[in-house]
Amino acid sequence: MSTVFYWTIAGTAAGLVLVGLWGILTRRHILRIALAFTVADTGVNLLLVWSGYLPGRTTPIIDDSIPVSGMASAVVDPLPQALVLTSIVIGVAVAALFVVVGVLASRRTGSADVRRMKELRW
Amino acid sequence: MIRTLTGLIIVLALGAVVAAVVPEMQMHEELQGVGFTYASRGMYETGSSNLVTAVIVAYRGLDTLGEVVVLFCASTAVILILTLFPIGIKPSEPSGIVAFTAKVLPAPILLFAVYFIAHSHTSPGGGFPGGAIIASTFLLVMLGSSSIPDSSGRIPAIESLAGLSFGLLGFWGVMVVGQFLNNTFLGTGTPGELISAGLIPLISIAIGAKVASEFSGVFTAFRNTGSRV
Repeated sequence: MSTVFYWTIAGTAAGLVLVGLWGILTRRHILRIALAFTVADTGVNLLLVWSGYLPGRTTPIIDDSIPVSGMASAVVDPLPQALVLTSIVIGVAVAALFVVVGVLASRRTGSADVRRMKELRW
Repeated sequence: MIRTLTGLIIVLALGAVVAAVVPEMQMHEELQGVGFTYASRGMYETGSSNLVTAVIVAYRGLDTLGEVVVLFCASTAVILILTLFPIGIKPSEPSGIVAFTAKVLPAPILLFAVYFIAHSHTSPGGGFPGGAIIASTFLLVMLGSSSIPDSSGRIPAIESLAGLSFGLLGFWGVMVVGQFLNNTFLGTGTPGELISAGLIPLISIAIGAKVASEFSGVFTAFRNTGSRV
């Protein structure tokens, strides 16, 4: 993976976070806010995985192609990947909760516009 | 207008912070700290050749247990809200493509998911993604028919059993060697074989069943919500 690609990933991840935050702050439809939330979530996950990358290394799954003596110098950092794996599942669960509460709120106010939801005013 | 401006200011401020911080995260040449320990000793200490699984299930098993609890809370909240306040969307007839796909694909997907969960310690895989794959099969079957699944209580039963077995597997370690979620008292075996890595395969199966039943329960709740109105 070249240096350009490395920084492209970082830029994409940071961009996703910012786009998601922009969506959360400015959109009015509550399901679009939920969607923006998941976009920001994806950006954070990508940034975490990116932070564990080391040049010229392989996935942290030991097989015959990895020398027994130098395992720690042949694989990327397994810790961020483990964190992101759990983060993705939690993200899905929170998104489901978000959507349910959002649909319920829009039924109560008769509109999916967050400006009509007094509790969500800012 | 004020909303857009405020949003723009907040996003630009965060963008400035990100632009200042991210370039400082230079590529390291070597693993640092705890990552180095996991990578160099993980396979010998846990018997799992998949180091990510070793971190999730063995080294940070307690965190994973906590995470399963978070997942349980979220899905319980979704099911509770949908049961108390039905939204009232009737399921529509599936298109021919979806109906046909729902007849053909579930078996291979389920086979893949079971392989994915059972081999989480030897190859890419794990309980969380495997459980999500099983739940996606459930969703596909549900979308392929216009019927409403009956809430017979089987899904909550599997969910409770899986969560309970995760906890009991942890207490097994307390009984034998006096450490919660100890992974090594069964012996770690030869890394790369199916029967190896101590408790990791068992805990993976428990997590897989838990995640699959939780997401299936959420999908069922979304589907059922129309029938009450």
